[in-house]
Amino acid sequence: MSGLNAAFPAPPVGAEFRLQGRPMTRERMRWYVDAQPTVAADDGRIHTQEPTIHDDDEYAKSQGLPGIIADGMVSTNWIMGLLIDVFGESVVRRMKLSTKYIAPIYEDQVVIPCARVTRTVKEAATGLQIELDVWCEDDKQTMLTVGKATVFGPNA
Amino acid sequence: MATGGTVWDLDKGDVLGPVEYRLSSFVIREYTHAVELHHPVFQGVSDQVMPPTLVHLDKLRLYKHACPGGTGPSARIHFEYDVEVFAPAYAGDLLRVTGTVEDRYLKKGRDYVVMRIDMERVETGELLMRYTDRVILAFEPKKEAMAS
Repeated sequence: MSGLNAAFPAPPVGAEFRLQGRPMTRERMRWYVDAQPTVAADDGRIHTQEPTIHDDDEYAKSQGLPGIIADGMVSTNWIMGLLIDVFGESVVRRMKLSTKYIAPIYEDQVVIPCARVTRTVKEAATGLQIELDVWCEDDKQTMLTVGKATVFGPNA
Repeated sequence: MATGGTVWDLDKGDVLGPVEYRLSSFVIREYTHAVELHHPVFQGVSDQVMPPTLVHLDKLRLYKHACPGGTGPSARIHFEYDVEVFAPAYAGDLLRVTGTVEDRYLKKGRDYVVMRIDMERVETGELLMRYTDRVILAFEPKKEAMAS
């Protein structure tokens, strides 16, 4: 999928998109933990870090939490993945995305990334602009992460 | 100025960096693999674009640069991410990131810190991304603050 283009039909206001739910497993939490020192080292090898609230139960409990919780950026990334799947890879070249983590995501909780179109604007000078509410909910429709996004078409 | 200590010491008006680094293909692929973004724009071998979420790790880069004492007495809780991408950063680009602590405040016994990070392409000076990061410095509220 190449992304927004002149032929892309703007979805109507109210159109809703969602990905299949994924359980926030211990492994998914740890992948993000390990990515941080690995990115920092940037030497082609995997690096690990000291215990965090995302991968060590005892450490999480010492910080007042009932157990490990997911880093919020995992859900933000899954929302971004939804936007790419729907609107194409070009969205990462010009976009706005804000997310707020309103509830902790615990081990094995199912996370469903969602988006709903709230406004579309198409002008000669600015191109196509689509505004969305974005969020993650669990399989009981509990809101976990909420936010807004704007994706842009050509000439934006 | 509260840089030079721990993240816990940061205060409104502090400037972290600038720090320059060259964005590598490995970093884009590894980060996006960790969050299951398997799209060719990230996992390919040419013209890879930096995912807008990766700027969040520039906060850690700036912390490391400006706060050699480390995190401080407790684990931070990141609770809000807010980015605008003006133009893409590509693998191979030399990038400059600068952090500015825009606010620090106490609410219900918890310390909140708001930091803006600007990312520029060094060769052109072009502003590529502006990111605002909001954290709570500790999950557990301060007891003395709650009592007051």
